[in-house]
Order: sequence, then structure tokens, then C-alpha cells
Amino acid sequence: MSLEYAKNDWYAVADIFCLRDGPRRTRLLETDITVTGPAEDATVTDDQGNRYPVQLKFDHVWTTLGDSPRPLFDIPEGDEEGRRRVPCGVVRVNCSPLRAVENFLDIAHFPFVHTDILGSEPHTEVSPYKVAIREESDEVWATQVKFFQPQAAKSAGDGIVTDYDYRVPAPTVAVLYKTCPPKPEAQDVIAIFVQPVSETVSDVWPWMALYDDASTFSEMAQFQHEIFVQDRSILENQRPVKLPLDPKMEIPTRADMTSVAYRRWLKKRGAFYGALRDGA
Amino acid sequence: MTTRPVGLTRDLPAGRVMHAQADGKDMVVWRATDGTIAAWDNRCPHRGMALSHGFVRGNRLACLYHGWHYDRSGRCGLIPAHPDLEPPATIHATQYGVVETGGVIWVSADEAPAPDDSDLAPLRSFIVEASEDALRDAQEATSADGAPPAPEASDRVSVLCNPIEPGRTQVTVLTAPGLPLPRLRTLSRWCEAMRRQAEAKETA
Ligand code: FES
Ligand SMILES: [Fe+2]
Repeated sequence: MSLEYAKNDWYAVADIFCLRDGPRRTRLLETDITVTGPAEDATVTDDQGNRYPVQLKFDHVWTTLGDSPRPLFDIPEGDEEGRRRVPCGVVRVNCSPLRAVENFLDIAHFPFVHTDILGSEPHTEVSPYKVAIREESDEVWATQVKFFQPQAAKSAGDGIVTDYDYRVPAPTVAVLYKTCPPKPEAQDVIAIFVQPVSETVSDVWPWMALYDDASTFSEMAQFQHEIFVQDRSILENQRPVKLPLDPKMEIPTRADMTSVAYRRWLKKRGAFYGALRDGA
Repeated sequence: MTTRPVGLTRDLPAGRVMHAQADGKDMVVWRATDGTIAAWDNRCPHRGMALSHGFVRGNRLACLYHGWHYDRSGRCGLIPAHPDLEPPATIHATQYGVVETGGVIWVSADEAPAPDDSDLAPLRSFIVEASEDALRDAQEATSADGAPPAPEASDRVSVLCNPIEPGRTQVTVLTAPGLPLPRLRTLSRWCEAMRRQAEAKETA
């Protein structure tokens, strides 16, 4: 646990589209809340009538339940000219929010879980890459990650070796930057914003900012949504449900350096909501 | 822990994987291409994925998540992310005991003795949403009057229970070998009657 720590982060609780059909009743950190639109001027209230701070960022409505929230991170690339920003809706997953983030940081599962889309056998090898906890921003970064992909994005035809950088700016958020097939000098940005409903239930909001003129908006959203539904079949079948921070409970290999750093970083921050602590 | 019946041999052909539960433990039971069977804790040592979602590759079980291979002794033999790496011997699935007698698969978490060989033949294995007690009561009630479809002495019916969780029981029914098909159909109907009665009592 460590609900107090978790309360002082910001969380996506709606996207700019879902409030058009009326308010969203949802749960955040085990508190029932109502998000009422329009997105540009949304309000978040609990059942006792308490009102929580709101900001609109990355096409989502963000809120926090804490009294002294840490600042919401930025994704500057998202604002670049010519990118199409695609909120992909919400996927409910019965898993720890931290397991959802860790899965997003993992490439070794591509050939097995996203077969013939993000990976395919026999191209299973994960080459060495770099991982660091950046002191100035206090974020986890994995860089120079390379992986062979048969169909890396909606706009990619044949297979290519895709370059990735991964970034964890907050315990329940992961951002990736990857080779952008139609624009080699730029990188596509894909993120997941995880809304922790509880320690074992997550609402996941995938979001993208892409250079892609060929695909329609719904094709792009659909592609990402399908990928995440494949991840859900894994995430709902991991035991224990909470992410174990005791290094003896799960055995990592070299490909898991990002996950090892992520778990260490959570521990260092005291971000234990959704985690199983040492010896617990 | 005792030895528990978790399914029928004929329902687990070579190359297949199943989920089993016994004495509060989640297990994966799978059969290699060469016909040998193994039962393990249903958890991949890498990231805790349920191995019952995995697939058989020859004589190894591969985890669905990152494709790690485990041989029949439970030892990890391949990490696809690092195909040239010899996986450390410490990476090991947790093994349980498993034996097959009379067409029934039995598991145990410790080295509990295997059940006696019997000449009985398996009729069915099914899940009942009722406690073992309710099932036993229903067995008695539906057998009492001896009217069809109730079993007769010559059927030598034996009902095995594996309590899975409160109010949920896996039931394996055995009969004398070589019964004619119409008789087996009748006994199947009796199984249904027993199940209905147990479940009705459970919800009452
Ligand atoms: S969890 Fe089984 S191979 Fe990774
Ligand atoms: Fe995935």
C-alpha cells in the first residue's frame, strides 16, 4: 500500500471524447468520483461533494486527490507541428497499475503476444540497451532499444528494425518514442496513462502523437487498442496480482533491465500502491 | 496433502495443457509430445504468468508471455530474448507429483502415495457448483430408490471428489469396465441428476 503517496500524483480519468456522452462515473484510488464535461472545463467531484483539481493535458482530463500534488510531467513532443494526437479510449484491466506499466516497458514479449504485428519468431533476441535513472528529472529511461518488427505501426509495410526509447515520468505512466516509418528523422510517441482504480484494477488510457497521414483516426486508435487487448490477456493472468518488489520472487534476465530499474525506482520513491513489498 | 483427481487421461492428449486446482493450489498439467505428463505450480518463474496459457513445443512447455521453455523436470531450457544464453539451473518451475491410474490424472503437492490401481473405467469428470458434502448428499438421495437412472450394484460406480474452493467441487465418476453404451448413457444422466440436486441444495 501507500495510498498517501499515490494520492499526490495526477491521473488521467477521462479523454476529450468520452465526456461528450455525459459525465463519467469512475473510481480512482478506491474513491468514487464523477468527471463532468466539457473536457476544456471539466470538474471532478466525489460523492461527498468534494471538488478536486483538474487539468486538461495530452487530450485527457487529469486530476489528483492529494493536498500537495507533485507536478504533472510534460511530453513536449506532443505539441510538435504536424503530429496527429490520438487518444485511444480506455481499456479496463484486472491487474495492478504497476504491472500494466511494466508490461508496456517490455519488448521481449512482442513475438509471443503481438505475433506478426510487433514481433515474430525467430526474431526474438533482445540486444543490449541502456538504462538509467535520470537524476535531474527523477525518471527511468531506457535508450537504444532495438527490435525487429514485422509491422511496427499502421503506416509500416514490411518488417523493420525499430528503435525505441522508453521513459517512466510517473509511477503509473510510460512513454515510448519509436522509429517513425514515414519520417525517419522524427519519432512517434506512444504512451499509456494508467488510472489506478484500486491496487488490482486499472483503467488504461493509451495515447499517441504520430506522423501518419495515411491512416484514418479510427484506424490508428483501433490498431493501438487491439495491441492493448492482447496485453490484457497476459496482465490478467500474472500472479501475484500486485507487482513484487522482492527481487527473489521473479527472475529477471538481461532483457529485463528496464523492469529492474523501474522496480528499484518505485522502491526508492516509496511508490508502493499496487506493489507487493519485500517479504510481504 | 492428499492425492486428488483433476481430470481424465483421455481429455489430455499429447501436446495439450490444462489448468488444475487441488488443495488450494493452482496447477498446470501438460503432456509432452512423447506422452509423458507433468504437473507444476501454475506460475512462470520469470514474471508470474499462468503457465496453463502456455503451449507445448516438443517435449517442453513454453510460457505464453516471453516464450521461456521448461523441460519435463521443470528446468528452464531456453530464454528466447537471449537464445545463446545457457539459462541458469536455478530457473525452475515448481513441480508437483502426478500419476495416472485407470484413466484418471492424480496430483499431489507433496510425495503423497499414488492411489491404488483399480480396474474401474472413467465415465466423466465435471465441476459442480456445490460443496463436497452437498454432492455426497445428492449422490445418496439420487441413488436411494434404485429406480433408473440410479446406479446398480453391478455398475460398481465410484464417485471421487476434489474440493476446489468453498462451494465448488471437481467430480470424477468411475464405473465397472466394459459397460454397454446404453448403460453408460443412463449413468451419465444420473450424473446430471446428482449435479442438479447438489447445486439446487447449495443455492437453497
Ligand atoms: S513470464 Fe513466462 S516467460 Fe516471461
Ligand atoms: Fe504488449
